[in-house]
Formats: sequence, structure tokens, C-alpha cells
Amino acid sequence: MNPMSATPAPKNKFARTHPGWSVWLRRPSVTALSFAVLFAYAFFLLPTKDTAPPFLFYLSINLFIVLVLAFTGNILADPKKPEALKMIAALLLIAVFCWLFYRYSGAQWGRLKDFFFNWETLEGNWWILWQGLEVTLLLAFISGIGSVLVGLLIAVLRTLHSPTLNFFLKVYVDVFRSIPMIVVMVFIFFALPFMGISLGSIVTTILALSLGYGAYASECFRAGIESVHSGQLEAARSLGLSRWKTISKIILPQAFPVVIPPLTGTLVAMLKDTAVASIVAAPELLKRARELYTSETNPTPLVAAALIYLVVLIPLVRAVNVLENKLQKRRKV
Amino acid sequence: MFLRTSSRKGVKCKMNDTGAMIEVVDLHKRFKDLHVLKGISTSVKQSEVVAVMGPSGSGKSTFLRCMNRLEEPSSGHIYIEGIDILAPYIDINRVRTEIGMVFQSFNLFPHLTSIENIKLAPMSVRKISDQEATERGMALLDKVGLVDKAKVYPEQLSGGQQQRVAIARALAMQPQIMFFDEPTSALDPEMIGEVLDVMRNMAKEGMTMMVVSHEMGFIKEAADRILFLVDGLIVEDGTPDQIFNYSKNERTLEFLSKII
Ligand SMILES: Nc1ncnc2c1ncn2[C@@H]1O[C@H](COP(=O)(O)OP(=O)(O)OP(=O)(O)O)[C@@H](O)[C@H]1O
Ligand SMILES: [Mg+2]
Repeated sequence: MNPMSATPAPKNKFARTHPGWSVWLRRPSVTALSFAVLFAYAFFLLPTKDTAPPFLFYLSINLFIVLVLAFTGNILADPKKPEALKMIAALLLIAVFCWLFYRYSGAQWGRLKDFFFNWETLEGNWWILWQGLEVTLLLAFISGIGSVLVGLLIAVLRTLHSPTLNFFLKVYVDVFRSIPMIVVMVFIFFALPFMGISLGSIVTTILALSLGYGAYASECFRAGIESVHSGQLEAARSLGLSRWKTISKIILPQAFPVVIPPLTGTLVAMLKDTAVASIVAAPELLKRARELYTSETNPTPLVAAALIYLVVLIPLVRAVNVLENKLQKRRKV
Repeated sequence: MFLRTSSRKGVKCKMNDTGAMIEVVDLHKRFKDLHVLKGISTSVKQSEVVAVMGPSGSGKSTFLRCMNRLEEPSSGHIYIEGIDILAPYIDINRVRTEIGMVFQSFNLFPHLTSIENIKLAPMSVRKISDQEATERGMALLDKVGLVDKAKVYPEQLSGGQQQRVAIARALAMQPQIMFFDEPTSALDPEMIGEVLDVMRNMAKEGMTMMVVSHEMGFIKEAADRILFLVDGLIVEDGTPDQIFNYSKNERTLEFLSKII
């Protein structure tokens, strides 16, 4: 009747050749319905461990997993769905898998809790871990400064382009990047006394971390310095700036944004590696946790230590990222 | 005046008093096997504007860069105001404060604003106060017509503006001599004029200049002499009129026919 509807739409070479499953699947009503179906499936149809013959049991669970994956995948892949919904879907997916694991695994939850999450063993012992954390942070702070200084020194010396000097610097950097930190510490702590040099565990740790991570830091600095265009150096030198002024006023300020991301990554790795100092009995966090582990004959203090490392490191890693973005932005403006 | 401060007393300067601002004697430069400059001798008088021309790879940039020792010459002598700047007791940083250099790619310091670019060297090398450096810097920016861009970072400037700031930066050290290495060849055509205008004014004010450039109009008007460099040798040395109108040298003619 309507003349418009009578005329066929003009052929569009970009049109879908078939209706499109994904379009249909992504309609909100379908999404909601399939969620309801999955929910019902999970609660009423999923067998408990012993109620079904093995074949049906595995088929049923695997089918459920496939359906859940397809459902969340479909939501996540839809560019038109709001991010909040995607976040909920992703969290739901994780929750479902945890629930499945909890329901079907042969885990001994009670014993696990008694062993690893026995918070009573920590009662009255928190201050010991706290002291350990203080030592860890102190070690990281001083060694951090040390390794930045070592790294900067090496990188600056390398800009002199003296083949002989470079040879020795390269040997240093390569050696320290190849030796595990634990070996360096053990060597300084247990072998040097035979050469008449006895260093305490704290000094040993700071020395080992500064030397070792100084090697890594020097590579970060070197990459940053090399990223500065050679024309900058020429312009600075042609103005009569000395080598040192050129480095401090022209090269390093420009290298800095490039250096920050890898350098902070290196320093965070160093903070983690302070744990190695427990091998030379530096009273840092892991060492204190291990002491508690022995005295309480329960590994919960180790778990607590791990959580403390997490709590300390995650904000640091985040902060580094924010700083990185800021520097990057300032460079772009 | 270029001596290391520590050894200034009691050292006899090797002088070469021909009265020339720059005197180059038998300058050679080798990069490993590559013999780039093969014995260049010339001299530049005070307030003279010398254009350096020649085909690509002939060693023009290397020649300029040897004269402030951005490249270390392999042999020969370079006298600036009569002083042998290749002598061991020379503090090359002091020499460089007397020679301003402008590059093809501007090489402004991207982390500093225009005025900071200009102030940096006077303040950290000549040790003049921030206030004085700012005043002088603003005067120089005025001279190149960019006062309003003082607080702007280089990447917000056009190529022509960047190059003018670069010139002001070099002038801030109050050099006796200015080197320009193809100052306009990285610029869009409409920006070349503004840079050449600044250079023309400097020439008028009596600056001693060496300019690697192929801007015929500018050279004809502003240059007192042209050095024509081919394969590391000066094949011709004369006024623009002599070279553009009366040259008999094959290589020169061939080159000129290409760029006109
Ligand atoms: N640092 C270097 N190491 C090795 N070879 C170099 C170096 N600098 C320049 N050369 C070589 O020296 C020769 C002359 O270079 P130069 O830059 O002086 O030429 P030019 O006349 O300025 O050329 P253009 O007009 O292209 O700028 C070229 O063959 C170049 O490859
Ligand atoms: Mg060149």
C-alpha cells in the first residue's frame, strides 16, 4: 500500500549477506534470557559430585563451561555494550569459575585454612613483621639511591666513548646482570671475610643491591641518553657548553622521561629482591616471617609477608604508571 | 683568549697575524678510510660573508664542523683571530663561544622555551645573571621578530620561527663569527624569506659569516665571496659575480646549471 515499501531497497554492496547471528545474540532480550537460562542450569541441572554417571557428569560440566564462556565472550566482544556491564560479566565469569572449583575440586579447605590462613599464629607477632617491613623499606631506599648513582655514573662515563673505559664498564654491567643476586650476596657475606673484608648483613645487602641493580639502572640511563638526538649534543657543544653541562642541562632532562619507566621497573624489582637478603640474615620482612614460620611451626606468617609485599608494591607500581603518563603527556604538549 | 685558564700564564700562543678572522691552512679530515677534506686553505676577513657551495657529499658540513671542532680535524691548522685553535692548550669551549652555529635541523632544546633556549648558554657559560640574560634574550627575540613567542616551546613554533630562535640562541653568546649549515633547506618555501631576512640584517651589521647555502638570491645579494667545494677541495673562490657570470670551471658550471 505504501509505495515506499513496495520498491525494494537498493542493493548495498556492504550489506550483510545473512541476518547475522551475533546481531541477534546481542539483543538485550536475548542476553537477559540466556543469562536466566544459565542461572537455572547452574542451580538445578548441574550435577553434584556423585549423583550422575561420570560420562554425563563431565559432559554436563563442560557444556556449562562452554556456555558461560560463550555468553561472557559475546558480551565482552560487543562494542555497543556499556563497559560497566562488561566489567560485571567478567567478574561474574571469575566468580563462576571459583564457585565451580569450590564445588568440584577435592581441596581440603579446612586444612588449607588451618595451615596457611591461621591468623591466630600472628597474634602478638605483627610488630615483628612490621619491624621487618621497616628494614626492607630502608634497605630498598638506600640501595635504590645507590643503584641510581652507580647507574648514572656508568651511563655518563659511557658517553665519553673511550674504548678502554667502555670495555671495563661493559664487563661490569654484563657480569652483574648475569649473576643471580643471591650469589653476589653470599659471595660478599661469606667469601670476602676470607680476604679480610667483613661486612655486616645490612651493608652486604645494600652493597650487593646497589652494584647489581646499578648495572641494570645504567642500561636504563644509557637507553635514555641514546634516545636524545645527536643534534642536541652538537647544538649544546657549539654554544660552548662543557661536556658536563651538556649532559646535566641538555641530555639528562630529555632522557629523563624515557628513563623513568624502565628505571622504576628496575627499582621495584630491586625492592622485591631485598627478600634475598634473608639469606645473609638481614632482619628484613621475609627473614622475620621465616623466623616466625619456624617458631610457630606454621606458614601463615609467610602468607602475611606476601600480602604485605603486595600492599606495598601495588601502589608503587601504580604510582609509577601515573608518573609515567604525566611525563609522557608533558613531552607531547 | 681561548687558553685554558689554568695554563694561561707563561704559554706562548701560536699566532698567525695575518689580520684575518679565520685562517685555514691545509685542512684535512678523514673518517677512517674516507678522505673527506683534502687540504683546504682559505681565509675570512672580519665582517666578510662567505657562502660555501658545492654538490652533496663534497664536505661542506664537515668543513664548518671542523672549524669549531665538532669534528676533530685530521691535520692542518685553523686560526681564529690569529690563534691556533688546534693547539693542545686551547680550551675549545672558549673558542666555541666565539663561533655561533646554526643547523639545518634547528636543534632547539625541546624541553626549554624559546627564551630559556636563548638564556641557557649565557647563564651557564658566561655566568651572567638571570635578569640580564632575560633582557638580552628578549632583545634578541625582538631582533628576529619573535618577542611574543618567548614562553613557547619549540614544537609549537613553525620551522621558520624555530630557526629564528636558533639564530637568536647563537647570537646570545655574542659571537664574533656565525656559521650557518644549510639554514633554510629544511624549511617550507614560504618560511625561507623570514630566516634569510634575519641573516641579511646580521650581514649588514658586520657579522663575520660562513653560510652553506644554495639560496642564489641571498648569496648574490649578501655574500662577499663564494667558496666552491668539490670532493673536499676548494675549486673556486671568488665574488658571486665572478662565479655566477664568468666561471670557466666545468664542475661549477655543471652544478650551477642544476640548481638554477
Ligand atoms: N661522522 C661521519 N662519519 C663518517 N663519514 C662521514 C661523517 N660525516 C660525514 N661523513 C661523510 O663525509 C662526506 C662529506 O659529508 P658532508 O656532510 O660534509 O657533506 P656536505 O657537503 O655537507 O653534503 P650535503 O650537501 O649533503 O649536506 C660524506 O661522504 C659523508 O658520508
Ligand atoms: Mg651538509
